[in-house]
Amino acid sequence: MTEKPTWSVWHWLLGAWMLAVVYGAFFYAPRAQGFVGESARIVFFHVPQAWVAVLAFCVNLWASLRYLVRRDPLDDARAAAAARLGLVFCVLATVTGSMFAKVMWGEFWNWDPRQISIVILLLVYAAYFALREAVADEERRGGLAAAYAALAFVTMPFLVFVVPRIYFSLHPDTLINVRGKIDMDSRMLQVLLAALVGFTGVFTWLYTLEVRVARVLLARRRREEST
Amino acid sequence: MFAKEVRSELRARVAVNAIGLFGLTTLVAVAYQIGPYQIHEQDRPHLLAALLWIILFFAALSGLQRVFVKEEDAHTAKTLRLAARPLAVWGGKLLFNVALLAALQTFLVPLYCILMGMRVQGTLPLVALLAVGCLAMAATATMVAAIIARAAGSGTLFAILAVPLMLPLLVMLIQGTRMAMTSPAWSDILPALQGVGALAGVTMVTSIYLFPVVWND
Amino acid sequence: MRAVSTVRVTFSALGKRFGARSVLKGVSGELRPGYAVVITGHNGSGKSTLLNLLAGVVRPSSGTIDYRAGGTPLPRHLWHTVVGMAGADMAVYEELSALENLHFFARLRGLRRSLGELEKLLCELGLEARDLRRPVGTYSSGMKQRVKLAQAVVHEPPVLLLDEPSSNLDERGHETAADLVRKFRPHAALAVATNDPREMAWGDERIHLGN
Repeated sequence: MTEKPTWSVWHWLLGAWMLAVVYGAFFYAPRAQGFVGESARIVFFHVPQAWVAVLAFCVNLWASLRYLVRRDPLDDARAAAAARLGLVFCVLATVTGSMFAKVMWGEFWNWDPRQISIVILLLVYAAYFALREAVADEERRGGLAAAYAALAFVTMPFLVFVVPRIYFSLHPDTLINVRGKIDMDSRMLQVLLAALVGFTGVFTWLYTLEVRVARVLLARRRREEST
Repeated sequence: MFAKEVRSELRARVAVNAIGLFGLTTLVAVAYQIGPYQIHEQDRPHLLAALLWIILFFAALSGLQRVFVKEEDAHTAKTLRLAARPLAVWGGKLLFNVALLAALQTFLVPLYCILMGMRVQGTLPLVALLAVGCLAMAATATMVAAIIARAAGSGTLFAILAVPLMLPLLVMLIQGTRMAMTSPAWSDILPALQGVGALAGVTMVTSIYLFPVVWND
Repeated sequence: MRAVSTVRVTFSALGKRFGARSVLKGVSGELRPGYAVVITGHNGSGKSTLLNLLAGVVRPSSGTIDYRAGGTPLPRHLWHTVVGMAGADMAVYEELSALENLHFFARLRGLRRSLGELEKLLCELGLEARDLRRPVGTYSSGMKQRVKLAQAVVHEPPVLLLDEPSSNLDERGHETAADLVRKFRPHAALAVATNDPREMAWGDERIHLGN
């Protein structure tokens, strides 16, 4: 299988873009006011990772529902790939988040509502894979995993929106805060937006790679079966 | 379907025994070790509310998961699958779980109040919260139970799958209970009541669409 | 009584995999009214799996199954309404009596049968009237098998799938199963998975699974 030239162009562009993001995060963006030392720079990695973890969750839901409707094994592979990447980015976001927490608030773990939220997302991803592991029948595995993903998805809003509002939170305001305006230095904002685009690009790249691998494996199995 | 569940359960009494004994044991252990006077007055609403739901939650976990696993274990699941519409099965199982939880609550919560010296200002709001919470918990548990019954190693898997889904619910319930203990006003408990009610509704609506998939796969 | 009397089931190139293990590969055939298909093969050759696929309780990994009731295609979620099935892995409730079991399954299928009718059916299948009201858990395996058969035919299904119907049955039990087949053969589409030579003789056609 030969790679299409447009693919390699995109993937070099992505590399350059991510380099720029890393440079920007450390040299271009100014020091943030009200944070200990240089700790605020982690936002350029932490926020995009958390965003990708949530994005992957949505992609997983989309692929899961598609699987339930069309019963195409490739959709199940798509859902699994999205969840795998989501799990990785979720772990990264948790780790970077608790590094920031250590610097800012003195402890790696504060039982802050947002930390709890991301850990629950982590648990959902883990449970999703535990379920997949436990089902040998592929057709059944796809259906059950998809159903669990959908069930988890509908309960997530309660976590993200209900729980933190009742609780007091240490977490800095989210990108767009309660007053509905963006409260950030413009150069920081540029880097953050670039990082969001970059990380989304990385996710897209890894995701399409996984899907292509799955497609090849499925095609090979079909060939073997037809002979 | 519900009638058969109740009749079966009355003859075998596995779930009732499991839930009841589990609830009673933890309650006695907690009451004996912590008791009503070990906790400072100002900490009471916090701790008593959390402890109550932890006891209810784990007692419920031990019994609710059995509804579908027992069908698979007894090899009756396939017979049932061929005879019934999925939604009839779901409705029956959900009702049964609701009844089981409601029975657990009516026996455990008053006992807890007595043993732990829990004084509730808003009794009626608390009863409403318990009712809605019972529905939400049963709805989630029924769906997860249906999923794990079709997989290997069901016992541990139930906890793994149910805990992340139930944590938000549990947090809301604990907060609501705390409110009901300190204030008789409906308006104080309303956010929790709405949250739990919405969760119950959302879970049930989703289940209606997902259950046939899970059941037939 | 029989709402849909003619159901035809065609299946082609059916395959089923469990993980890496392929249980069934490229099986085709047809079930039609008044015609009996016998499925043979050694243990683990996929006899039960094939019946499960046909009943719609397991999804095929490849291939298609097509139900037609009086010429119009029947969607998958309605298959169970026209199928009756009995097999070793299809138990009835041990804590309920034979009559309660049958009453429950009849009600689930939306049938309004009097207890008298159900009792008659169970007695036809060789159970004694005095046993019908004690829990199935206290029955011998032969008696349980009869309750399972009763459950499979309570709604007079146009498609009848039997997985080793006279396993656990003595000579008289085998006769009961044979009677059942004789009763349903003229109008129902029948598939029997078996290795018993007497039962193999019931078939108009034989599908042999395995190498």
